[in-house]
Amino acid sequence: MSRLEPRKVAMTLAAPVIAIVFAALVTALVLAATGDPVWSTVTTVWDYGSKPRVIALTLNQATTYYLSALAVAIGFRMNLFNIGVDGQYRLAAFAAAVVGTSVSLPKPLHLLVIVLTAMLVGAMWAGVAAVLKVSRGVSEVISTIMLNAIATSLIAFLLSKVATDVAGSNNRGTDPIPESGHFPGIPLIPGSPLDSFGFIIVAVLAGIAYSVVLGRTRFGFDLRATGRSESAAVASGVSVKRMVLLSMLLSGAVAGLVGMPQLLGASYTYSIDFPAGLGFTGIAIALLGRNNAVGMALSAVLFAFLDASSVILDINDISKEIVLIMQGTIVLSVVVAYELVRRYSIAAEQRRVSRELASQGSPEREEVAT
Amino acid sequence: MRRVTTFAAALLAGALTLTACGGSDSTNAQPEASGSSSGSAPASDIKVGLAYDIGGRGDQSFNDAAAAGLDKAKAQFGVQTKEAEASQGEAEPAKEERLRALADAGYNPIIAVGFAYSASVAKVAKELPDTQFAIIDDAAAVGPNIANLLFAEEQGSFLVGAAAGLKSKTNNVGFVGGVDVPLIHKFEAGFKAGAEAAKPGIKVQSKYLTQPPDFSGFGDPAKGKTAAAGMFDAGADVVYQAAGGSGGGVFEAAKAAKGLAIGVDSDQYNTADPSVKDVILTSMLKKVDVAVFDFVSSVNDKKFVAGEKIYDLKADGVGYSTSGGQVDDIKDKLEAYKAKIISGEITVPTK
Amino acid sequence: MHLVHRLHRSPTEEGVAISTSSASPTADSRRDDQGSAAVELQGITKRFPGVVANRDINMAVRRGQVHAVVGENGAGKSTLMKILYGMQRPDEGSISIEGREVSFHSPSDAIDAGVGMVHQHFMLADNLTVLENVVLGREPSRAGMLDFGAARRRIKEISDSYGLDVEADRLVEELGVGDRQRVEILKVLYRGAKILILDEPTAVLVPQEVDELFDNLRELTGEGITVLFISHKLDEVLAVADEITVIRRGTTVATVRPADVTARQLAELMVGSELPTPETRESTVTDIPVLRVEALTVRSLEGRALLEGVSFTIHQGEVLGVAGVEGNGQAELVEAIMGMRQLAGGTVSLADEDLTAWPTRRRREAGVGYIPEDRHRHGLLLDAPLWENRILGHQTEPPNVKGPWIDRAGARADTERIVRDYDVRTPSIDVLAAALSGGNQQKLIVGREMSGSPKVLIASHPTRGVDVGAQAAIWDHIRTARREGLAVLLISADLDELIGLSDSIKVILRGRLVADVDPAEVTPEALGSAMTGADEKV
Repeated sequence: MSRLEPRKVAMTLAAPVIAIVFAALVTALVLAATGDPVWSTVTTVWDYGSKPRVIALTLNQATTYYLSALAVAIGFRMNLFNIGVDGQYRLAAFAAAVVGTSVSLPKPLHLLVIVLTAMLVGAMWAGVAAVLKVSRGVSEVISTIMLNAIATSLIAFLLSKVATDVAGSNNRGTDPIPESGHFPGIPLIPGSPLDSFGFIIVAVLAGIAYSVVLGRTRFGFDLRATGRSESAAVASGVSVKRMVLLSMLLSGAVAGLVGMPQLLGASYTYSIDFPAGLGFTGIAIALLGRNNAVGMALSAVLFAFLDASSVILDINDISKEIVLIMQGTIVLSVVVAYELVRRYSIAAEQRRVSRELASQGSPEREEVAT
Repeated sequence: MRRVTTFAAALLAGALTLTACGGSDSTNAQPEASGSSSGSAPASDIKVGLAYDIGGRGDQSFNDAAAAGLDKAKAQFGVQTKEAEASQGEAEPAKEERLRALADAGYNPIIAVGFAYSASVAKVAKELPDTQFAIIDDAAAVGPNIANLLFAEEQGSFLVGAAAGLKSKTNNVGFVGGVDVPLIHKFEAGFKAGAEAAKPGIKVQSKYLTQPPDFSGFGDPAKGKTAAAGMFDAGADVVYQAAGGSGGGVFEAAKAAKGLAIGVDSDQYNTADPSVKDVILTSMLKKVDVAVFDFVSSVNDKKFVAGEKIYDLKADGVGYSTSGGQVDDIKDKLEAYKAKIISGEITVPTK
Repeated sequence: MHLVHRLHRSPTEEGVAISTSSASPTADSRRDDQGSAAVELQGITKRFPGVVANRDINMAVRRGQVHAVVGENGAGKSTLMKILYGMQRPDEGSISIEGREVSFHSPSDAIDAGVGMVHQHFMLADNLTVLENVVLGREPSRAGMLDFGAARRRIKEISDSYGLDVEADRLVEELGVGDRQRVEILKVLYRGAKILILDEPTAVLVPQEVDELFDNLRELTGEGITVLFISHKLDEVLAVADEITVIRRGTTVATVRPADVTARQLAELMVGSELPTPETRESTVTDIPVLRVEALTVRSLEGRALLEGVSFTIHQGEVLGVAGVEGNGQAELVEAIMGMRQLAGGTVSLADEDLTAWPTRRRREAGVGYIPEDRHRHGLLLDAPLWENRILGHQTEPPNVKGPWIDRAGARADTERIVRDYDVRTPSIDVLAAALSGGNQQKLIVGREMSGSPKVLIASHPTRGVDVGAQAAIWDHIRTARREGLAVLLISADLDELIGLSDSIKVILRGRLVADVDPAEVTPEALGSAMTGADEKV
C-alpha cells in the first residue's frame, strides 16, 4: 500500500503464485489421470496462445473481464459482495444498445451518450440493492442475486418489445447501433487480423482511476476503512450508510461498462446471445488479483488466456473442462493462500517489530510476547 | 473483507466445479465418436469440423441430432471429423476463434450448429473464402461459401398440434418451450395452428422455461416437469415439449397425470426412458441429422451449394413419428394435413 | 488494600528497591521446603519465533498455599500458566507435580494430574444450570443414563466443604459475576483438581466480590488445595498470597513473602525502575463550560432505558471521572456523546453549540477527541499501517488531507511526530497496527486523539491493558493537556486511575448518575461500594 519494500512485494506475490502453481499441479494431475499427455498439452496451449490473433483475442476478453473485476472489487474493498454485476452489466448494455440506436448524434457525443447511459443504468440497478440495504437492512448478497434474475426477465420482456426480427435469423436483438456510435478498434497486436477493442483504453483509465480514488482520496480512505473494520470506521465518523450507497452506485456504474467493449466494438447490438455470466468471472478475477488494479489486470489476462486455450484443447481432444478445473482451483487455493500468507506476514511482522525493538532499545525496552 | 472473500470463493469454486462436472457429461461421449476414422469405412481426405453451441454432443436434443448426422457421414464416407463446443457465456469473438482454429487445423467444410454462430460464420467465411461453411437454423449469414440449412419446424409442429387436437378429450392442450427464443416460437406457432385446425376453439396453454441468456431451459428436466404438471393440473391432457433435455420431465409429468406428451427433434419413443414410453403420443421430427449428413455428402461429392436449403415437409426434413402406434388411428387425417401443407393449401404461421 | 495508592502519596517514603539478588535468601529458604512443593518449575524456557516468552523460570509452590505470580502485562505470566496447564509445551526445563516430573501434551493431561485453570473470561453456558455447566464434558452416567443425582450430591459436597455456596440448580444467566466465578472454581474442583490456577480472577470483580473471593481461596487452601494466583494488582496480591513470585521480561526475578515487602517495592521489582503515579492534585479547573450533557436518555431496541436523564458539565481544564461497574451505561454514554447512538432524549453541547443532531464526523471536527474502550474494534485498522491509522478519525483534517486528497506526506510526517512524542515503540510507521503491542497501539491512539488540540477528550479506559511505563506516559499526556485547558471525560475501571486523575467523579449505576464523589477524599473501597449501589450516598 505504501512503499515498495522487497519483502512486502514478495509477500504480495506469494499467494497468487502459490495458488497458480498449485492449480497447475492439480490440473496436470487431472490430465495425467485421464490419460492426456501433460507436456504436449502445455506446449499446444502455449503455441496456440502465442499466435498474434489469439493474443489479440485474449486481450479483448481480458478487457471485458477486467472491467467486471473492477466493479466487483469496489464492493469488496468495502466488504460488500456485489454478485449483481452480472445483471447490472446486461441491463446496462441493453439500455445502451436501445439508446444507441434511437438517438442520432455526431460521433464522439453519440459514443459518450451510450457509455453514460450504460453507467447510469448499471448504477441504478446496483442502487436498488444499496437502497434496500441501507433502508431495510437487506443483505446485498441476497438482493443482487434476485436482481440478476429480475434483470434477465426484464431484458427478455423489453427485448420482445423493441426487437425487430431479421428475416431468416433465429436471433433476436436490438437494431444495430449506427457507425457513429462504434468504438473503433485499434491494431494493437502486430500480425493479428483481429483489432483490439478500443475500449481497452477505457479499461486502463478505469483501472488507474480505481487505484487513485481508493488509494489517494478521502473517499477511498473512508471506503477502505469501512471494509477493514466497520466499527472503527463508524467511530472515526464515517457514515456507513452513505458509503454503502456510494460504493454500490460506483460499482454499478463500472459494471455498466462491462458490456461496452462487446457492444461498441464487436456486436453493435444487444441480442439474446449477448455474453452472460461475466459478472461471476469478475468475482474470480478480483479475488485472484487481490482487488489490486495491476493484480486484477494480470488475473484478467490469465483467465482470458485460459478461456482462449479451451478452443484449442477442444480441437485436440483434450477436455476443455480442465480449464474450468484450473480456474476453480486457482480461485479456491488463492483464498487459502492469501489467508495463510496474511497470517504468516502478520506474525512475521510482529516478530520483526519485536526483534528490531529489542536490538535498538535498551534491555528495559525489550518486549516479550505472552 | 475476508469473510466476503471466503464466501465468494466457495460460491465460485462450487459454480465452476458444477459447470465442469456438467460439461464432462457431454465430453464423455466424445472419444467414441471423434478422432480419427475407424471401422470399415472407406478412407477419405475430407476433414469435417463441427462447432456446437453450448451443450454440445450429449444434450439429448438438437446437438445430438447433428452429431448423429456426422457419425453417419463418417461411417459412410470415412471422413475425418472434429467437434468443438462453445463455453458458457462466451462472446462472439470466441465463436469466431473456434471456427478459425478449426480451419487452421485443416478442417473444411465446417458446420456451425445453431443461430448463435450467425455473425461469426458471416465474418470468418469472408476471411477464409476457400473454406466451406454450413450453418444450421440461420439464414442471415450469407456468402458464396455458406450453406444455410433451415427447417420448417412450424410445419412439423402443425402436424403434432393436429394430433394433439384430435386426441384431446378435455379440449385443452399445452406447449412447453425450453427457452423463450424466436426459434422455439416457430414450434409454438405451428403447434397452436395445428391444434386449432383439428379442433377449433381448443385451449392451448403455453409456457417457456427460461429467458435468454439463461439457456438452462434446454437442460433442466425438473423445470420441464413442473411446468407440464401445472398444465395437466389446469386441464390439459396432451403437452408438446420443445425443450431439449428438459423434455424428459414433461414425459414424467404426463405419466404422473395419466396424460400424453409429444416429443421433439428425434423420435423420442425410441430414445426416452422406457418407463415413460407409453405416454409419448408422437414426436415432431426435425431431421438435423439428415441435413448434416446431406451436407457432408454434397461436399464429399464436390457438389457444395451455397445459400438456403430448406428442410420442410416436402423435403421430408420435418415430420412426425409413428412409433408406438398411438397415432395410427388418426394417421389418415394427419397425412391429409401434410398433403395440404405441401401443396400450399395450408400456410403455417411461424410466429 | 490499595497499598499502592497510598504509597503514591508519599513516593519517597520508602525508596528501598529490592534487587534480584536480594530475593535470593527467600529462594534459599524455599529450597528447604522442597519436600512439600505441590508444583515445581525448573529452568522453564519457551521461545516463540524471534521472541523468548519465558526463560529460565524457576519457582516452587507449596501445597495448601496461595502463591501469587505477578508481573506487568506482557511479562510472560500467561505463557507460563499455559505451559503449566498443558496448553503450550516448554522448550526447556521441567515441571514436577507433587514431586513427580510430568509432561503435559494437552489441558486434559493437566487435569488428570490435578491441575485446573479458571480463565479470566468465564466459559459457562448461560442457558444451562450450574449443575449442567459443571458436568458438561464429564457427564456422570449410570447404565448409559445421565446420573444427575450423583453429580448434584458431589457438587453439594464440594460447595459445602470449601464454602463456595453454589446452588446446583440455578440458571447461570441468573448469577452475578462473583457467583459465576465460584461456579468456574467448582467446575475445576469437580474434575479433581488439587492445584488451581486463577488467571487475573479479580479483573471482573468489584472490591466486595474480591474480598469474598479471597475468603473462598483461604477456605480452599485450608482444605489442602494449592492456588496459583495470577495478577498485576499488587494490593490484592499482598492481601491474599502466602508467597509471591515476580516475573519480569519472561523470567522469575524474585520470590518474596508479603510480610517482607511493600507494594511499592513489589511494583519496582515488576517494572525494574521507578514507578509512575496517576496523582494530579493542583487544580486547573476553570469555570468555562466545554462539554455539557443534559438529560441524556438512551434506550435499547426493546425500549429499556440504558441511560436515563444523565446530565453533567465538564469545564476547561477539568477531568470528570465516571466510576461504575462495567455495563451500567458507560459505553452508551460515550457512544451517545460521539454521535454513534440514537438518543431517546436530551442534548449534548460543545461550548455554546448544540451538537445533538450532528453526525460523528462533525463532532470530531469540532474538537472532540475519542479514545475508545475497545481499541481493536473502534480505534484502529489492524490491517493498515500506522500512518493510515493516524488518519483514522481525522480523515477531514490537516495534516492528513488536502481537499479531497489524502496528504500522504503530511500524514506520514505527523505519524513520525506521534511516534516520537508519545514513545510509540515501532521500527517504522509502515508496519501494520496489528504488529504493535497493546500499549504501543494505545499510545498511538492517544497521540492521534491529542493532536489538533481537541477541546474535549472522551477517554474510555485509556490505560487498559497497557504496561506501567506506557500508563505513566498516557497519564502525563492527559495531565499536560488538562493544564492547557482540555476537558476530559474519563471512564475507567481502574479506581486508582480514576481517583488519581479526576477533578470530580460521578458514579454511574444502571444508566443513572447516582452519586458525586470528591476524589481528594474518597477511598477506593468507598467508591467501590458506591459503584455497586450498596451505599448511594458517599
